[in-house]
Amino acid sequence: MAAARRLKRVVASQPGFLNLKSSSDSTESLSSRRKRVNKNKKKNWNKHSDINDVEDFLDDVRHQERTTGGLLSEKSDDSLFFLDVGQPKKAEPKEAESVEGKKRKGKQSRPLRIDLILQHDSLVPPPKDVLAYQQPNAKKLRRIAQKAEQLAAKGVVPRRQKQLLNRRPVDKKVKAAVTEANNNPDREYYDIWGQETKDSADPWYLQQTRKKLVKRPEKLNEKPSVLPAVEVIAPGGSYNPDFFSHQALLQEAHEVEVKKQKEEDKIERQLAVNKEDTATEETKLREQVEGLVEEENEEETAPNEEEEEEEEDVAVGAIAVAEKKTERQRKREKAEKIKEQQRLADRQLTDQRQQLFQLRSIKTSIKQQEQKTKDKQKQRKVKQEAQKAQPRRLGRLKFQPQDMEVQLSDELAGSLRRLKPEGSILKDRFKSLQKRNLIEPRERAKFKRRHKVKYVEKRAFREIT
Amino acid sequence: MGGLQKKKFERGSATNYITRNKARKKLQLSLPDFRRLCILKGIYPHEPKHKKKVNKGSTAPRTFYLVKDIRFLLHEPIVGKFRDYKVFVRKLKKAYGKTEWSAVERLRENKPTYKLDHIIKERYPSFIDALRDIDDALCMCFLFSTFARTGKCHVQTIQLCRRLTVEWMNYVIAARALRKVFISIKGIYYQAEVMGQPITWLVPYQFSHDHPTDVDYRVMATFTELYTTLLGFINFRLYHSLNLLYPPKAIVVTVLHLMFSFNAFLQEDMEKMEAREKEQKQQEAQKKLFEGLKFFLNREVPRESLAFVIRCFGGEVSWDKSVCIGSTYEVTDETITHQIVDRPNIDQQYINRYYIQPQWVYDCVNAKIILPVEDYFLGVTLPPHLSPFVEEKEGDYVPPEKMKIMALQRGEKPANEEEEEGEEEEEEGEDEEEEEDDDNDDDEEDDEEEEAEEKNLKKMEEQRSQGKSLQVKVTPGKVKVENPARLEQEEKAEEKRLAIMMMKKKEKYLYDKIMFGKKRKTREANKLAAKRKAYDDAEKAKKKKARK
Repeated sequence: MAAARRLKRVVASQPGFLNLKSSSDSTESLSSRRKRVNKNKKKNWNKHSDINDVEDFLDDVRHQERTTGGLLSEKSDDSLFFLDVGQPKKAEPKEAESVEGKKRKGKQSRPLRIDLILQHDSLVPPPKDVLAYQQPNAKKLRRIAQKAEQLAAKGVVPRRQKQLLNRRPVDKKVKAAVTEANNNPDREYYDIWGQETKDSADPWYLQQTRKKLVKRPEKLNEKPSVLPAVEVIAPGGSYNPDFFSHQALLQEAHEVEVKKQKEEDKIERQLAVNKEDTATEETKLREQVEGLVEEENEEETAPNEEEEEEEEDVAVGAIAVAEKKTERQRKREKAEKIKEQQRLADRQLTDQRQQLFQLRSIKTSIKQQEQKTKDKQKQRKVKQEAQKAQPRRLGRLKFQPQDMEVQLSDELAGSLRRLKPEGSILKDRFKSLQKRNLIEPRERAKFKRRHKVKYVEKRAFREIT
Repeated sequence: MGGLQKKKFERGSATNYITRNKARKKLQLSLPDFRRLCILKGIYPHEPKHKKKVNKGSTAPRTFYLVKDIRFLLHEPIVGKFRDYKVFVRKLKKAYGKTEWSAVERLRENKPTYKLDHIIKERYPSFIDALRDIDDALCMCFLFSTFARTGKCHVQTIQLCRRLTVEWMNYVIAARALRKVFISIKGIYYQAEVMGQPITWLVPYQFSHDHPTDVDYRVMATFTELYTTLLGFINFRLYHSLNLLYPPKAIVVTVLHLMFSFNAFLQEDMEKMEAREKEQKQQEAQKKLFEGLKFFLNREVPRESLAFVIRCFGGEVSWDKSVCIGSTYEVTDETITHQIVDRPNIDQQYINRYYIQPQWVYDCVNAKIILPVEDYFLGVTLPPHLSPFVEEKEGDYVPPEKMKIMALQRGEKPANEEEEEGEEEEEEGEDEEEEEDDDNDDDEEDDEEEEAEEKNLKKMEEQRSQGKSLQVKVTPGKVKVENPARLEQEEKAEEKRLAIMMMKKKEKYLYDKIMFGKKRKTREANKLAAKRKAYDDAEKAKKKKARK
């Protein structure tokens, strides 16, 4: 009510505003005819008074407050107007901006234009979002929180917290597979020969439950070959060898090569064909024409045939017919047989008697035989020993010794820096293992295809051919 | 009655052998697993004497194993691990195929592994047995440590081999066990003596390597697996025998107390004891060969090998900082005594140090004394590198370089005839048969002396006849120092001659035959020496011509 009054006063003071009183005097006669209404009650007052002008003014005021953030009349002049004095002269000495920070600060003190634009500049505050503050079970939650506080004050810990506290921290498991592997570079060793074996339980029990290891048979401890593990190369294999030892090594390599060459030559010789035996055009013609040409050779062949016929007749006559033996003949044969046997028996007797006088020669012959057998035994033993040093035949492939590692005289390097190593030690070790019968000789497995490979021409080729 | 008949191939050698495939089926393993098992357990195939019997009448070449060995294999716990591994591989493949990565992770974490400790204990029940087999192990480990880490074989294996080889070399340095070194075209051979056992191993050059295709890598990897385990245990034991800490930290080894290996003296004669003591003294002197000398290795020489050898004999060694870690002093150090260079010439030369080629170090080690440095200067043609693994028997050809070295070993200067004769005497003095040569030498010397005396006498007689007074004076006699050793030798020679005279005709004939055969070798050696001399002369002549 007081505000309305104030406003009315403000309104009345505005120039150009018509007073109610002045207007009412001129039109008194007209207005007396009007019916007199009691405006003391609210309902009657609202019905009969016209407050549109006030309402307009108030609307205007509210509009100003809403849009420009307050009455325009109450705003300062500077916020509404500025004096346009043209381009400001740049004769003023610009202060040396020595410190960049100062410049920045100055710029920072002025707020950004976009922030200014986005600020709401009306007096009317934005409405509150009531739904955002509404929680359906706010009371319940409040009660629960209060109870928890009370219990915490007493010292009782809820179950979930107890479980959390009881949980041990997780140890990130180091990969057992890596540490226990045999080729782990940091693996540990211990004294394997120093520890005494302890029989913790009954040996019978240990044996039955397979906790005790089976004893290794004695034969397995023998080495399969007498060769040493590492065979040092001959002195000619030094990087800077002595003349004669190098020559000796070259000689050995040479002999190996000669042997190979000999074998190849042997095979070539066996397969060799005489050049004269190859068919030429002449011989072919002669063969085809044989027997067809009858001019000169008829006379020569005729006497030869006659001689051959005579020889055949003689051969036919020699076959005689066998006759049956007579009784006399059989008796004679028996008597002869008996005589023969008697003679042999007598001969034997005399031989036995004469052996007494041949004792010396018999002795020498026996000695010779014994000597022979001894020699042969020795040879056999030597052969056996040599065989022990040879690699045994274990499996399908024969042992192929590796090529000799030799450097020719012009390949020899005078200094260690220029030395070019010969041979591969990997191969050398592999062959040494085979030589000592530790593994059987092996070769690289061939790539076997399951199905045959088919060859198909490309379409482009098919068109061409 | 039919059942009691003896059938063929049911008893005897035919039942003692079993073919490889049958053995594999009995063990229920795949072929690579079977091979691996045999290598690990030390079971080798045998060649039977009568193949036809064992093969039941056919002569097809097959691999045979003894049945008892295979039956022994059945009790091996590792067989179960192999089967577990097979199952693991199958599960892993399935998980990969179904792209179940969590399953793959889980399986990988629980991969089955096996240990070989019980196999080592079973195959080598005592430490000395293991030491006898260490040659092979060392060669394999050194070989694998030089492989490139491409992933063809497990990188961890290569790392483990490297670690073990470095530990072994450290042990040899600490125990001063190295005896012989030989640089060949294949690689470098070393020989060390550990607990009385001579151990030879071969180290490849760092820069060779073209991997041959016909070598089975799986087999070599299995051997290496076994040998790395063995070598690790041996290293442990050896380090503890020297009271060193195992495993050593990096390269530095904490030496608490160095003990030398001592031989057990059983009942032996005094002579042998003295000989042994002499040997020991020599060995100890040899172990300190490079003590007090300071070496510097240039970039182009094989650093590891030289550092190992020099350290083994007590010398100090260093190299350029940029080559590798572990260098202690620089080139500019004034106290360096020898610098090892392999180039034809070098720019900056310090005065108080020798610039020598690397062969000097190795030759010194083999000769067991410090050789004169002049033959090994830069740009000089080196003397040939002789093999220390060759032991020349009496009468064999000995190259003149070796004779020089032996002369130096006796503290005499080379290139003197008398010394050579003296050398021959001492070389062959121990053998009885060579005393004849001694006698011959003595006789020759005596003859020469006699001839000289005769000449003198003749001269004197002439002078007398000419009436000149002789300048002979009576001077106090000099005591002839009679060498007791020489006297003994002469007595022995006399006895021998008497014995030979008393032999019967037949025995004499045999004896002559033997001596002829023996002298054949010396004759050949003389021939070769003459050849060598001719060759040397030819070379000299060539050089002179070239100079002109």
